[in-house]
Amino acid sequence: MTDSTSPVPAYVAPATLKERDAARQAKRISARVLVYAALLLWTFISLFPIYWTITTSFKTAVNVTQGHLVPWVDFQPDWKGWRSLGLSPDTIGRTSTVREEFLLRFENSIIASVGAATLAVAIGSLAAYGLSRFTYKFGPWRNKDIAFFFLSQLILPPVVLAMPFLVLYKELALLDSKIGLILIYTLMVLPIVIWIMRDQFDTIPLELEQAALVDGCSTWGAFFRIVLPIALPGMVAAFILSVVLCWNEYFFAALLTSTNAKTIPVMVASQTGSQGISWWSMAAISTAAIAPLLLIGIFLERYIVKGLTAGAVK
Amino acid sequence: MQGSSPVTNAQDFPVASENWWTGRRTLGQALIILGSIGLAAIVLLQLLDAMGATSLGFTNWRPSLYAYLAWAICLGAGQILIRGEAGHRAVFLLPALLFTIVMVIFPTFFGLYIAFTDWNLSSLSGRQFSGLDNLRAMLSDPYYWNAIRNMTYYVVAVFVQYAIAFGLALLLNADIRARKFFRVAFLLPFMLSPVAVSWMIGKSLMEFRFGPAATLARHLGWDSPAFFTTPWIARLSIMAMDAWVWIPFIMILLLAGLQALPKEISDAAKVDGASPWQSFWQITFPLMLPVSVTAIVLKIIFQLKLADIVINVTAGGPGGATDTVSSFIFREYRDRSNVGYGTMLAEVYLVIIIIFVMLMLHFAGRFMRKVT
Amino acid sequence: MRLQHYERLLKLSRRDVLKGAAGAAALSAAGGLTGLSTSARAQSDLRTQMLQIPGVGKGQPTDADWQQVGELCLGPTKANVQQGEFAGVELSFMGLNNQNLHNLLFRGFLKPWEAYTGAKITWIDLAQADYNPRLQQSIATGTVDFDILEMGAPLEGDVCGKGLASEMPDWVKTQIEMDDYVGYLKPPVGTWDGKTYRISIDGDCHTFNYRTDVFSDAELAKQWAAEGGQGEWAVPKTWQQVQAVTKFLKGKKLNGQDLYGYLDPPKGWGGFGFYFLGSRATAYAKHPDDKAWLFDVDTMKPRVNNPAWVRAIQDVIDALPFEPADQLNADPGTTGFQQFLAGTGSMLSWWGDIGSNAKTNDSSVIGDVCGFDILPGSDDVYNPKTGQWDKLQSGPNYAPNMAYIGWGIYVMSRVDSDAKKQKAAWSAAAHLGGKDISLWMAAYPSGFQPYRQSHFNIPEWVAAGYDEAFITDYLKSESDSYNHPNAAIEPRIPGIFQYYSVAEDELAKIFAGGSDAQTGADRIAAAWEKITEQIGRENQIKLYKASLGL
Repeated sequence: MTDSTSPVPAYVAPATLKERDAARQAKRISARVLVYAALLLWTFISLFPIYWTITTSFKTAVNVTQGHLVPWVDFQPDWKGWRSLGLSPDTIGRTSTVREEFLLRFENSIIASVGAATLAVAIGSLAAYGLSRFTYKFGPWRNKDIAFFFLSQLILPPVVLAMPFLVLYKELALLDSKIGLILIYTLMVLPIVIWIMRDQFDTIPLELEQAALVDGCSTWGAFFRIVLPIALPGMVAAFILSVVLCWNEYFFAALLTSTNAKTIPVMVASQTGSQGISWWSMAAISTAAIAPLLLIGIFLERYIVKGLTAGAVK
Repeated sequence: MQGSSPVTNAQDFPVASENWWTGRRTLGQALIILGSIGLAAIVLLQLLDAMGATSLGFTNWRPSLYAYLAWAICLGAGQILIRGEAGHRAVFLLPALLFTIVMVIFPTFFGLYIAFTDWNLSSLSGRQFSGLDNLRAMLSDPYYWNAIRNMTYYVVAVFVQYAIAFGLALLLNADIRARKFFRVAFLLPFMLSPVAVSWMIGKSLMEFRFGPAATLARHLGWDSPAFFTTPWIARLSIMAMDAWVWIPFIMILLLAGLQALPKEISDAAKVDGASPWQSFWQITFPLMLPVSVTAIVLKIIFQLKLADIVINVTAGGPGGATDTVSSFIFREYRDRSNVGYGTMLAEVYLVIIIIFVMLMLHFAGRFMRKVT
Repeated sequence: MRLQHYERLLKLSRRDVLKGAAGAAALSAAGGLTGLSTSARAQSDLRTQMLQIPGVGKGQPTDADWQQVGELCLGPTKANVQQGEFAGVELSFMGLNNQNLHNLLFRGFLKPWEAYTGAKITWIDLAQADYNPRLQQSIATGTVDFDILEMGAPLEGDVCGKGLASEMPDWVKTQIEMDDYVGYLKPPVGTWDGKTYRISIDGDCHTFNYRTDVFSDAELAKQWAAEGGQGEWAVPKTWQQVQAVTKFLKGKKLNGQDLYGYLDPPKGWGGFGFYFLGSRATAYAKHPDDKAWLFDVDTMKPRVNNPAWVRAIQDVIDALPFEPADQLNADPGTTGFQQFLAGTGSMLSWWGDIGSNAKTNDSSVIGDVCGFDILPGSDDVYNPKTGQWDKLQSGPNYAPNMAYIGWGIYVMSRVDSDAKKQKAAWSAAAHLGGKDISLWMAAYPSGFQPYRQSHFNIPEWVAAGYDEAFITDYLKSESDSYNHPNAAIEPRIPGIFQYYSVAEDELAKIFAGGSDAQTGADRIAAAWEKITEQIGRENQIKLYKASLGL
């Protein structure tokens, strides 16, 4: 391959070679500069609003309305937001109804999100494997239709499922229960898990399982011992997305819970109403709410790494 | 796209035989029949009880739920016993399928029924069957069709989001330092709750007088940075906020896909001397098509449900320019308790989207077959 | 008291704490409340003592403070209930969590009550945006899983109309001393279809908030006269003046800041936005001789497209070009909390909150240059019977808008089957609606406004440590509105918020330039007719009449 369009002499002088190396080196460096510049730009875009939220939790009303940016430079940080939650240094020792409320909701959010995500990933991976490897036929419906059936559950805007689900849950005595919330969240994220995992399984070459099956492994064995470890990046990605979607789900949480299964998003929305906007409280709750997700992201990120396909085919 | 290559082979491949005792088929069949009878009986009893024909004292429908669970287990076990290997394969799919069916069957039919009623929650006469009235009202509802038109704009924005997300995924997949930091940082926007996004960004960051975004805009020469008062700028602002939240979603799907790509292929390309640009378009992109299609389809579905940001920041304004179908249905269903009409709007929307997504998948499938 | 009021009062009153403490001491020492019987004196001692918890200037009240107040005010409960009488009873309470007040406050107040009576309360907290839908959907699907409800009066149509509320027993009426309520909260507003269901805990009305510095500026006065402005440069008293001032102020500056006049919220707010058009319209549409102003009483024909309302809509259309550039995206929350309080705009209608949120910080933007008054009136008022505009003998027509009427506590009829549970539920509700405890709620951050005559006893407030000048101003604007003979009160019919919500949608279109005022108003009227038909016209007429006391 040549970089130029002019005819190249059969014999290339060393000087030109060196120039070519230098040119390539320069291109490589400038490419890397561009890459890092792009990364940093997007990091700024991603993180600035988060930074804004965190600093707002340390502001008072005036700072918020005046749009001050940098703590200690533009404004004096204040514990007001955290105090309203009962999480500031001066309130942390005392009893605080708000903090009890917040922690209860926090706990429920964790149970509901992690529970639903786990359940969804479990049964979703199985279903996705089936849809990827096997041919199903229920009457006129093939794999494609079954996959589409799952997908169609995502489409209906949840707002119109309000009345039907209210009635359904009332009849099943699942209202205001953590189990009920887990079930409906699983329903919500299952299609996503299935479609993501199906793509993952599709990219895993069949030879691996075939080798295992020849060796006497059952289908289940092949799935659990061979395929699953390779599909881990996809599973982790699906899990993280499911947890985030369930964690921030507002609509069904507001509708189907009362005292026992209430979650965080409604509390965030409660910080504003016809009496004002408690920016600092809202920011504080949002920051506290994003913290566990951040931890999950940090902890699980290492699993979204290159699969083990590289050596496996041998 | 449906993984046509792996499927045809797996089915035919012989599995190590196992020792089955005779009569397992009958056992399997008996199991299924038993489970079905049990389920039918309990459901029938509960129905009779609910209608008042009997008084067995059922307080709720949990017994039916448990009977269903038992039936599902019987079905699974029966399948394995009767059909052996094929039964095992069926059991992979059964949990998800049966779970989904039991959760949605009632809401789907009840929802469909509601769509054909005139049901205002404040009305003393309750639900009234009204046939096609809701449909007729919908056809002449200016707000609904305005919202549908807006949705086409929003859907186009998805492709822009996809392009940016793909770029980011490629960057994160490359050999860079502090990769963990960048990956987590890029994922953060998706984690912020939509309520927080609407308020912290839409109302605080982008506030006209003192918000940082407005200040930046003034520095860049825009004197009167009113982000939400003219139709197109309002739409672009909403699209920007939505993109900020959802690009990480697309990005993480694409990243997982990129990670799963066999390394040999891209190595081979490099040895051949292909430039990065060529290797991308001719190797990476086609290989990533299935994942891309999934990501785009999922994102479009979420985009079509976009409501929170619109409701909280612009309430559909100015003059309906940013109104989405979901936020309009929200107002109709929740603020005006016009449940019957709202459900009809949603059902029609569902049909439109299903047709749209089916067409998309169909054409994407054709495109991929052409390319690969 | 609304949180913002309280914080403002703190700022003003800090320097007066000493004066207040001395005042309180002087009051009790000199038997300052002479002429009262011993029991009354004891009660006023209680009230004085209660107002010292936690004390003005001693920081935001905490959980412990709420519980202390609840304990102090248990007297009326103890008179009617034995200790431990409700052991084993479980009640569930549904209400708002608005900025961590409302329900959280009630928890604190009711803890001593629970300890005394042995009952247990579980809590359902909703965000304001979900409140109405959740209530409607629970009612419609029969999932009413609460015994006590905190609800806004306008929603009575849906709850009481379906027979879901329990009627107030007489012993409760005595315990909470209902005669003490301000004028407009007494029957017919205090009742629904002739029966009493509500324990009021709040009063709501729109008042007029304005910037005192703008209207006392000599430079602006000169310019006003120079540009042909009518009359003195002063706080507008009528909407006609408001329009003129708004047009005048655009482009002017004060201390380097751009000035604007009146702030309109053209964007919807879950139905609440309609109140703000209402505030502009009541002076035109509420005739002193007519109790109705939204619908015709005998037919439920909407009046929203009559000349009075159309004029109000036109006023907004005319004023919008003179308001800030992003006004189209401003809902009431924006106009109040992001604009007016941040120094933009010089006139605003809002609930009592806004005007006093001037001093939440030493470097606040508008300082204490905020004044309030009742809503502006109008030089002429529309007479629906004659179809003419009348000029009243008494001068401009004033019609304060009792927007949202006020929060109340209701007991659900599902407790009626169990006598013990019923008594427990009403006792808990009565505890929250008690005379003394309500004074504390009025004086400290709670989310609620004064609503009893006994709340307007200025010396009590001064003794507690509040600045006299400010508290007089604050309370006067409220009491003038509450007791106004021509107050405009909304109909408490089923689905009232549906009417507001559909109006908001149409108004947003009108204000964005989609149509002219009359056409848009006609569309609103048509939509309202449809809703009335859907809900049931006969019933709406009956209930509308009952709510007006006809």
